[in-house]
Amino acid sequence: MTFQKLSQMVVGNTVRSPRHFVFSAIGVVIGIGAFVFFLAGVLRVQSVLYDVFPLEEVEVIAPHTSIAGKNLSKKLTQETVDLIKTRPEVKSALPRMTLQFPAVGFGKFEGQDIRFEVGGFTDGIPVSYIADDPKLADRFIDGDAAGAIGPACEPAQGKAACPDKAWQYCDKTDRMCHNRVPVIVSPTVLELYNTQVAESHGLPHIGAMEQFIAERGRERMHFWIGLGDTMVAGSNVAVTAKHREVGAILIGVSKKAKRVGLTIPIGYVERWNREFAGEEQARTFSSIVVTLRDKDRLAPFTKWLQDEPKLKLEDSLGEQFGTVVFVITIVLLAISFVIVGISAINIAHNFFMQVTERRREIGVLRAVGASQRDVLLIVLGEAALIGLVSGLIGSVAAVIGSFAVDWASAAVVPDFPFKPTSWFAFEWWIFALAVGFSVLFCVVGGWLPARKAAQMEPAAALAQN
Amino acid sequence: MSADPVIQLESVRKSYGEGAGQTQVLRGVSLSVPRGELIALVGQSGSGKSTLLNIVGGLDKADGGTVRVLGHDYRQTPEPALARLRNQKIGFVFQAFNLLDHLTCLGNVTLPASFAPVARDADKRGREALGRVGLGDYAHRRPSELSGGQKQRVAIARALFNEPELLLCDEPTGNLDSATGHEVIEFFKELNQKDGVTLMIVTHERRMSTIAQRVITMRDGAIVEGDQAGGEDGGPS
Repeated sequence: MTFQKLSQMVVGNTVRSPRHFVFSAIGVVIGIGAFVFFLAGVLRVQSVLYDVFPLEEVEVIAPHTSIAGKNLSKKLTQETVDLIKTRPEVKSALPRMTLQFPAVGFGKFEGQDIRFEVGGFTDGIPVSYIADDPKLADRFIDGDAAGAIGPACEPAQGKAACPDKAWQYCDKTDRMCHNRVPVIVSPTVLELYNTQVAESHGLPHIGAMEQFIAERGRERMHFWIGLGDTMVAGSNVAVTAKHREVGAILIGVSKKAKRVGLTIPIGYVERWNREFAGEEQARTFSSIVVTLRDKDRLAPFTKWLQDEPKLKLEDSLGEQFGTVVFVITIVLLAISFVIVGISAINIAHNFFMQVTERRREIGVLRAVGASQRDVLLIVLGEAALIGLVSGLIGSVAAVIGSFAVDWASAAVVPDFPFKPTSWFAFEWWIFALAVGFSVLFCVVGGWLPARKAAQMEPAAALAQN
Repeated sequence: MSADPVIQLESVRKSYGEGAGQTQVLRGVSLSVPRGELIALVGQSGSGKSTLLNIVGGLDKADGGTVRVLGHDYRQTPEPALARLRNQKIGFVFQAFNLLDHLTCLGNVTLPASFAPVARDADKRGREALGRVGLGDYAHRRPSELSGGQKQRVAIARALFNEPELLLCDEPTGNLDSATGHEVIEFFKELNQKDGVTLMIVTHERRMSTIAQRVITMRDGAIVEGDQAGGEDGGPS
């Protein structure tokens, strides 16, 4: 039997029995609809979580230990980074270094004076860590690594003092032109700004940072960092150098930036820590960002970390949320599968009835030359067609349901950080998987009835009144 | 006429049921039907005629004995090959017509083409087959719109669609009125004489005996008369 003839017969048989089709399909539609709905929802939640907590990375820190007020914590140094890099689970290990002395950020933003604490809220990362981000890589550089870039300048001239107004500033201390310190922030900072700060201060909402910067111009992203200064009243942190100011520029958003704070190239932090807090602080990292080869390597790496270097992982909310989401995913998908599984049993029941009702027809087909395989394929084809159509209808129903949920979310649920505009991520493979499962379950449900139909003796089938 | 008989049965047995409830339907039937013969299979209800016909057509399996039809020993013929034999070389006509109501007359007639490895010009051949039974204008009618005689003619057209060498008919006139039954009988006669098709007809119809070259009488699962093949001239034995 050719595929074309089989298809014609399967479609013809299905179309002439709409009642049978509806009874067989309804459960599958519900099950597959739930499957697509849940999976797309979970996928979206996972992607939001991933935005907040990059799950593929872990952060290694040194546990705090002190005896009689003396800090005995292990120091994270370049040797620790090199040791971690030797582990087979590790793809890369990059240090972070926190600013270890007071500092204040200040300037104008959208016409308003702003002032914020920088010390303790700023860290440095290697520029190579951002190298894979084409929007930031060429600007996230340590412009002072080789000292001032010159030429000599007069600070009183303001922005006109240096040839490149957008990227340079005239340093008041050495009266030389320097590259502005490139600053990146995390999506969390942007989200906090949008949901907590912007509205209450009458500031504009920022969607895509790159677009915002392009619209406003680079120069409106300038601000100053007062090294050795602080907003904290009564701060008694001693600094070993004289207060000075450096120019900075916000260049964009990256998941690799400090979750709440500012991130700059680590060279600046090393030099400033050396200048303001001493040599030891310039050699001590605050944490080490470790990228594992895959998530399955986390368990052995964690064990090694505890056993050998006496280090630990930073408590990862992302990991905990990820686990919760994973469990919820499994439960929801299990519910979907149970629904589709019950539907498959229902299909089997319906097809058994159909096969019994159509005994004579099957007998006629056998008499005119249908083989057992032909009959098997016809019945399985009908089951597969029900699965295909049910899968498509279920998928469409899930999409319609998602529109309703998104509409309700927009209308009823108040804004919160990282609130998604849609709670669903409909990837093409979800639909492919849904239709595939639908067809598979229906074919499994139709298998026994199809076998029964195929094995009927033609003479006995024709004898049915 | 070929030397090989179209149908060759040796000691064919068939029973239904098991244990004490077992019923012997065929008790060692032997029969040889040469090519081009028209035989009538007669006997009382339950004598085993239809079972024998079904076994010859491969619609049922014998419990024992040898069934050789058109050169195929059924014991050694795999199921797909048997299906192909029914599709290509054997036609069936049933008392109950067995037309599929959801198909048109043409759809019913061309049904065998669905299972043929190659089916060229199925519609054209289907219309020719319908024309041959006088229903050329009924191609797009549904069986429910036809009289009993017309239904049987559509069934005959379906049986003839692939120009079979052997036509097996089970009470083909059983549901027809006398005049229509006569037409069908005449059609079979013509089919046998002009086209040389071998026919095996299970019947209660006395008139069938007048056109049959041999009348085989069965009783209690055995042939009691007419088991010797007819002469070379095709006359009754």
